[in-house]
Amino acid sequence: MTKPATDLISAPVWDAFVRCFHWSLVTLFAISVASGKVGGEWIVWHMRSGYAILTLVVFRLIWGFVGGEYARYGSFLTGPMRGIKFAKGLLGKAPQHVIGHNPVGGWMVVVLLLLLATQAGLGLFSNDEIATTGPLARYVSDATSIAFMSRHRWIGDGLLILVGIHIAAVLFHVFVKKEGIVRAMFTGRKDLPPDLANEARSARKASVPLGFLVLSVAIAAVVIAVNWSALFKP
Amino acid sequence: MKNLTRIAIATAAIAVSSSAFAQPKPEAYVKHRQSAFALMGWYFGPMAAVAKGEKPFNKDELVKATALVATMAKLPYDSFPVGTETVGNTQALPAVWSNNAKFKELAAKLSTETDTLAKLAAAGDEAGFKKQFGVVGGTCKACHDDFRKK
Repeated sequence: MTKPATDLISAPVWDAFVRCFHWSLVTLFAISVASGKVGGEWIVWHMRSGYAILTLVVFRLIWGFVGGEYARYGSFLTGPMRGIKFAKGLLGKAPQHVIGHNPVGGWMVVVLLLLLATQAGLGLFSNDEIATTGPLARYVSDATSIAFMSRHRWIGDGLLILVGIHIAAVLFHVFVKKEGIVRAMFTGRKDLPPDLANEARSARKASVPLGFLVLSVAIAAVVIAVNWSALFKP
Repeated sequence: MKNLTRIAIATAAIAVSSSAFAQPKPEAYVKHRQSAFALMGWYFGPMAAVAKGEKPFNKDELVKATALVATMAKLPYDSFPVGTETVGNTQALPAVWSNNAKFKELAAKLSTETDTLAKLAAAGDEAGFKKQFGVVGGTCKACHDDFRKK
């Protein structure tokens, strides 16, 4: 039974850190893909955007433990039964209102985060055997760097496929299910049925100072890692 | 008898010369082309720091290095005969042979672009060198993308 739209109430769901994280990541991922494909003098942008992506992902991985309620893994990661039940509901056109990430999408979030972290990590140690080596390639064997480079290429293609699936799923939710999730990721607010809206309104808010602290930690970690050879000369 | 002697000597000469220039083994072709690429990389890689502005533009060093890169760039492509497709640890993709025209085209492009890089270094053109370094790297990549194992 579908509720008329007037029964939905706007409620805050996504904290500003999650939203900024998401759209920055979209931009940086696009830059990384394009610069990686073109190569040549654009490789430097591939590496810079890669470092930025690593920073964002480190931030988000930590934020999933200490962020606003719906940024937290506890709020959107569920077991297979809920996932299967939700997936069945996807076959119909009726909106399936969920406050944060839905049970299927939630797992995609984790997969994307871990794959992005892996991809950036591999890049740090890679060697393209042309003119570019990652900043940490000197700490591993040539064979390792070359093997990591190969995996970095394959995972790059894998990420493109998964991001494609992600975009297709989002478009499905927006245009078929009529759930305004793209707008929600900009404004932070979703139109929800009253019970969910009330739950969202009284949910734990993000701590802004903590968000900036976690971001600083992420930046520091990546800056130190990337500049390790300059910082810790033997 | 004289003619028979001439024939015998000629035959012996042919036999000896054939064995002296015997066809290299497939493994030798693979080793040759990989060596050429390795040497090219040895001289090309360290110039990246100059191209990025992290290392000063030392004309004498760069003239030497770019000349070697240009020479090495011309060596490997004659060592891809049929019969070496899957020999040793070759990183060549089947496309090298199935799309040989494109492969040769990219080889020629590399030759041209590395020559240009050497000219720019010899002319002391720092800005030109930096730009061309990226062009050469892009040429390497263009061929790798389609013809080298991922």
